[in-house]
Amino acid sequence: MRGHFLRFHRWIGWPLVLGLISCAPTSDDPHRLSIWEQMEPAEQRLLHEHLQQFETEHPGVQVDVVHFETENLRNNYQTAALARTGPDLVYGPSDHVGPFSIMGLIEPLENVFSADSLALFLEDAKPSLEGHVLRLADQVGNHLTLVLNRKYVDHVPVDTEDFLEIARSNTVDENGDGKTDRYGIVFNLTEPFWLVPWLGGYGGWVMDENSKPTLDTPAMREALSFVRRLVDEGVIPPSCDYPLADTLFKQGSAAMTINGPWSWESYREQGIDIELALLPRIAGRDSWPQPMTSSKGYSLNRWIPPARHPLAVELLAFLTSARVVGRISEELGTLPSRSDVSQWPRLQANPTLHSSWAQLVKGRLMPVVPEMRVLWDVMRPGLQHVISGRLSPEEAARSMQQSALRKIEELRK
Amino acid sequence: MSRRTVAWWFLLPSALVLGAVVAWPFVYNFWISLTDLGLYTIRDGAHFIGIQQYLRVFAEPDLYRYLLRTLVWTLLNVFFHVLIGVSIALILNRPLRGRSLYRALLILPWALPQYIAALSWRGMFNYEFGSINLLLAKLHFSPIPWLSTEVGAFAAALITNIWLGFPFMMVVALGGLQSIPREMYEAAEIDGAGAWWQLRKITLPLLRPVMMPAIVLGTIWTFNNLNVMWLVTNQGEPGDSSHILVTYVYKAAFNYYRYGYAAAFSVLIFLILLGLTWINYRQASRSTYGA
Repeated sequence: MRGHFLRFHRWIGWPLVLGLISCAPTSDDPHRLSIWEQMEPAEQRLLHEHLQQFETEHPGVQVDVVHFETENLRNNYQTAALARTGPDLVYGPSDHVGPFSIMGLIEPLENVFSADSLALFLEDAKPSLEGHVLRLADQVGNHLTLVLNRKYVDHVPVDTEDFLEIARSNTVDENGDGKTDRYGIVFNLTEPFWLVPWLGGYGGWVMDENSKPTLDTPAMREALSFVRRLVDEGVIPPSCDYPLADTLFKQGSAAMTINGPWSWESYREQGIDIELALLPRIAGRDSWPQPMTSSKGYSLNRWIPPARHPLAVELLAFLTSARVVGRISEELGTLPSRSDVSQWPRLQANPTLHSSWAQLVKGRLMPVVPEMRVLWDVMRPGLQHVISGRLSPEEAARSMQQSALRKIEELRK
Repeated sequence: MSRRTVAWWFLLPSALVLGAVVAWPFVYNFWISLTDLGLYTIRDGAHFIGIQQYLRVFAEPDLYRYLLRTLVWTLLNVFFHVLIGVSIALILNRPLRGRSLYRALLILPWALPQYIAALSWRGMFNYEFGSINLLLAKLHFSPIPWLSTEVGAFAAALITNIWLGFPFMMVVALGGLQSIPREMYEAAEIDGAGAWWQLRKITLPLLRPVMMPAIVLGTIWTFNNLNVMWLVTNQGEPGDSSHILVTYVYKAAFNYYRYGYAAAFSVLIFLILLGLTWINYRQASRSTYGA
């Protein structure tokens, strides 16, 4: 027995282990790059095409891509980068980059790109914190717009009263069974991202310039009252969350929805004749809803081995180059992140991009500070309690502010 | 090399793996719980702050509410898992046409990924369009606001987890039932014992040694079950009112980056589970061996 074990151990066991180790890719291979992303399928398809192009232009270079769901991407990247490993580039939404920067997990991009190169990007496309550029985007916007089903709605609402009137006239019980078969408007009532445009429209915002929450304000109370009014008038299902809103609109069971650029193409694919429109002006005031705008793009891992660093920077420059950004914009209907690309005549002639741009300029950039995460978390229950009637808008706004102050303090402990 | 040394060499890989995946994370978690590790300290290194995180945990106003809800959640789940699992096992252990088909169908919930099952159930609990309320309406009952009230959300998660968990107990109970000698029932029948007597005096006592480890496992799994509560209630909705301990800790660690605090909370959860397991095992050995 002992002899067998020793023979196994000497002639098969150790060579096997050593062989397996030598076959594994080494983390500092200068020709093997990696990207972690949370892209939609259409974005992924384009990314793979662009990477093929990059690999063709750089013989011997291989780029690995790993896909994650948004929250998993944040958690996994954090864990990996804290251990000084992880991908060379991480692709995601802007709200990740604030915490990544504070934790020292991403490299400030002004260290690797010249001021002239950075100047080609729109302000929304290069979120920054404490003077450091944290990410370069390949698309900007990610903002909500009003989407009309032209089968039911023949004009763009002039203001919120007109919007309500259209919604009322399109909330119908078609078969007379006492149940609503078509709703006037559907959107995600459970997420404060859909509340923020109204908050901005009534003159408020989520935080001040010192990142202190500003939630217990008349603007928040009015915004909550407006959303509650939609529920009270029965023009929106009270339990309307994202999947429900999306399904109802795609089924043709809703006249209007509020959604972002990621959804428009899927509505067209379902055969819905859509028109993008501005979120309606607040009636009786000269103010417009302010959807939050942000961008999606690439950050550079702070712990890339020096031997691979120049190639990683080159890949980032390629993936945010004019030809790549322009193609993404043309194919996906997203707004380009570069000012030179936004001037392309064929993009300027695109009606979807035109409408999206019109809404974008009425929007406001999402803060990238970590406190934003707390604000989402405290606004969510407040909004939900107002929708369910458990809290008045006044009580909800007060509760949001108190919770926000407490949780931000906890965040810093 | 002596036989003893060879044995140690064979044990070494398992010991290394257990050390790396169990002992080291446990010790590291305990260390983190004594530091101020968080969003703003992670970059430059955390500082030792003694038991301050533990004091914060015990000062948390919602701690006892979450603890009570977790205990109720665990107790109800395990109770229904065992009740339904053993009941179905008793039925399937008898001669029955299509028994294999029923067995396969009843194991399905266990075979489904929890993530998919939980999200599907969440859809079914929708107030206006969910199949459960549509069914209730057909039966002339009022719809229930499952996901928009604290009690409703808890009940929705509970129903989902009971559905997901009973097949495990059923499989364990079926194995246990098949190991009970047939002769014992035949002898009892000759003595004139009825079905109820046989169940109480033969089946349940002989099932107990098989079921107790499963119940202990089920208790630990349910107590620490993040997926179902997190997904069905969409991260503790409505308004963070449906958290159990693990969902609250997960949110503290991964949404708010409060690693030191969450680590202290995890140590507390570990101690609670250790206590529950110890009580369970003592009860089990007393009832099995009369100790």
